[in-house]
Amino acid sequence: MHKKMAFSFPDEVLEHVFSFIQSDKDRNSVSLVCKSWYEIERWCRRKVFVGNCYAVSPRMVIKRFPEFRSIELKGKPHFADFNLVPDGWGGYVFPWIVEMAGAVPWLEEIKLKRMVVTDESLELIAKSFKNFKVLILSSCEGFSTDGLAAIAASCKNLKELDLRDCEVDDLSGHWLSHFPDTYTSLVALNISCLGSDEVSLSALERLVGRCTSLKTLRLNRAVPLDKVANILRRAPQLVEFGTGTYAAELRPDVYSDFAGAFSSCKELKSLSGFWDVVPDYLPAIYPVCSKLTSLNLSYATIQSPELIKLVSHCPNLQRLLVLDYIEDSGLEALASSCKDLQELRVFPSDPFGVEPNVSLTEQGLVAVSSGCPKLQSVLYFCRRMSNEALVTVAKNCPNFTRFRLCIIEPRTADYLTLEPLDVGFGAIVQYCKDLQRLSLSGLLTDRVFEYIGTYAKKLEMLSVAFAGDSDLGLHHVLSGCESLRKLEIRDCPFGDKALLANAAKLETMRSLWMSSCAVSFGACKLLAQKMPRLNVEVIDERGPPDSRPESCSVDKLYIYRTVAGSRFDMPPFVWTMEDDPSLQLS
Amino acid sequence: MELQLGLALPTTPFSPFGYELKQGPFHNNGSCSSSSSSSGGSNKRRGGFDEDTRVVPKTLRLLLWNTNQRNGEDDDPNDLDDHSSSAILKNGGEGLVGWPPVKAWRKKLRRHVHNGRANNNRMAAAAAGNNSCGGRAFSNSTYVKVKMEGNAIARKIDLSVHRSFESLTSTLKRMFDISEEQWRKSFKLAYQDREGDWLLAEDVPWRTFIRSLKCIKLVRS
Repeated sequence: MHKKMAFSFPDEVLEHVFSFIQSDKDRNSVSLVCKSWYEIERWCRRKVFVGNCYAVSPRMVIKRFPEFRSIELKGKPHFADFNLVPDGWGGYVFPWIVEMAGAVPWLEEIKLKRMVVTDESLELIAKSFKNFKVLILSSCEGFSTDGLAAIAASCKNLKELDLRDCEVDDLSGHWLSHFPDTYTSLVALNISCLGSDEVSLSALERLVGRCTSLKTLRLNRAVPLDKVANILRRAPQLVEFGTGTYAAELRPDVYSDFAGAFSSCKELKSLSGFWDVVPDYLPAIYPVCSKLTSLNLSYATIQSPELIKLVSHCPNLQRLLVLDYIEDSGLEALASSCKDLQELRVFPSDPFGVEPNVSLTEQGLVAVSSGCPKLQSVLYFCRRMSNEALVTVAKNCPNFTRFRLCIIEPRTADYLTLEPLDVGFGAIVQYCKDLQRLSLSGLLTDRVFEYIGTYAKKLEMLSVAFAGDSDLGLHHVLSGCESLRKLEIRDCPFGDKALLANAAKLETMRSLWMSSCAVSFGACKLLAQKMPRLNVEVIDERGPPDSRPESCSVDKLYIYRTVAGSRFDMPPFVWTMEDDPSLQLS
Repeated sequence: MELQLGLALPTTPFSPFGYELKQGPFHNNGSCSSSSSSSGGSNKRRGGFDEDTRVVPKTLRLLLWNTNQRNGEDDDPNDLDDHSSSAILKNGGEGLVGWPPVKAWRKKLRRHVHNGRANNNRMAAAAAGNNSCGGRAFSNSTYVKVKMEGNAIARKIDLSVHRSFESLTSTLKRMFDISEEQWRKSFKLAYQDREGDWLLAEDVPWRTFIRSLKCIKLVRS
């Protein structure tokens, strides 16, 4: 019997082959082939992705992948975006930075989502990684402009600083001045989240002027329109630009200055910002519209006629974010002008109003589905829907990968038939075979979950609110959706049975969130006991769950698989099940 | 009652397609919104199909925000005070939390649109200063922490729905379960400002309070 493998390339050759494999999934598969491939792969993995920062410890990651250069971490559950996760829940990045500072000195990239980042963490990053290049903080919080100053001052090779949707303690606009005069390597800067009234405009202008490779610049609201011209003139090579406030006195000299600066940017493909839009200033961007592929007007409070004019100038648009001021008529115009549209997000201008303030209905969605054959990703807030419309949309767009519908009033029925919207969403999952992400709304019974469990075989993320009748609904999803990784549920009558009956499924998923449902504390304890590789965390601000009867429902439940055991940083309102002495069963 | 815990698909009682034919296309318990009360609601779901004939109206209004009908132009910001007392509220006066699912910064934009003010950045002022309120920045959020002296658990309150001390204290009393008498006798409203100093809210006008506050504390006098 041969001792050697049938083929035996030197490690270097395999490593070279593996370097062409970027996807994490593929790399994970590679590492399962045999021990030597596992070893070679782990030494040459350069990008690590950790979808849940509590699923693994920093030491474990570093031990397995000693030579990574880029790390992406995600912290809080998605529903934290909507204030469902109390402050202090967790998601601290500092322990990761500490471990990496010592063991991974050549780290170049850190990408974080929904994590708590302190100034101390930023200062440690600035100090520890000599070749640091990319910092992307998405929906993070806990730091101030002091931390940013440390990054600016020390990271000589920084290329990207992106603070999308972060909450920053804005102490001073002067952090920008901490970039030394010799620093020129900036390629992308996104400070759109900064709220301060003081942004050091002169420092910004100088920075933009000397960074000739700058391709992406997203300003914050505090930058006035009449200053934007100066900035744009220094960066005609920009590909992505976010304006500051888009309001100014209607003065011809200001307008022509601004319009002139804009038209000198021949490479622009993506625009955003547009706070406080004064419609008369919109034509200034018409010259660049024909090349635009991405347009974010979700802060622009302009009405349908102006929006229609604008989108009709953008035949190459692939991505549009807009407020529901666009109305059905605007979406019809969009459908006829923008045949390359792939992604559409329509946000509510008045989310808490009971009566509709705009004429945006299911018709707009149907129009876009019919006119835009490449449409793949939709986020749509509206106030009425029908099964008929959903079936039409499903048939028009079998290529959907993401479909998120939010009918603003919970449990709203089909407005034509007064029936539940089960059949409509059923059509979506049946026709859209590649659907990866789905958010439900409206009046829904267990039947919709039966459809989802039957058809949504590629579904990875499902968001459910105010839906279903019984545990059967949850059971359909957990037992049927083979690709399910993330499930988040609020205000549904799902309880213990489906959860316990599908306990093993939970280990195949990243996480499950259930709030205001009917899962009892007793079931949580049982689940935790039976499934040691799951962390079962009860979030309850009413006090310890064992101060109430075991049959009492928990307020919020977050379950995730982990190889790192219970976490150490839980706040007082988060309970893990492990410490319960009553779990010591023989 | 034995809970069935299976590692494979369970054999009973969930035969996926059999059951629901028995109960018809639409069977809504309507009680899922109150699951956080201590009624031990999960017992009711045993088997899932008891003869529960509670039927709720098909569009159940969980959020009655506007009892005064707004017609666009007549949008008086003070109207919101009336709404907070007549709306169906959860969470001590804050409405249905997290619904509709719009991110916090979008809510802020919405306030801008309605109040028509050029810069509604009151909360941005609350961001600076020491972090004894817990190292959290609030520059884009309208939520502030509220603690009651003697109570370990901090709550959060959305200041954007309040326009006066009356409205705020009314909500706080409800949130912490303090009666009118108790409030008058033993509590005072204090807040920590940008510079980290603790002040009594009764000493300052509402505008000043809103602009400079970082977090709130109910202190016993």
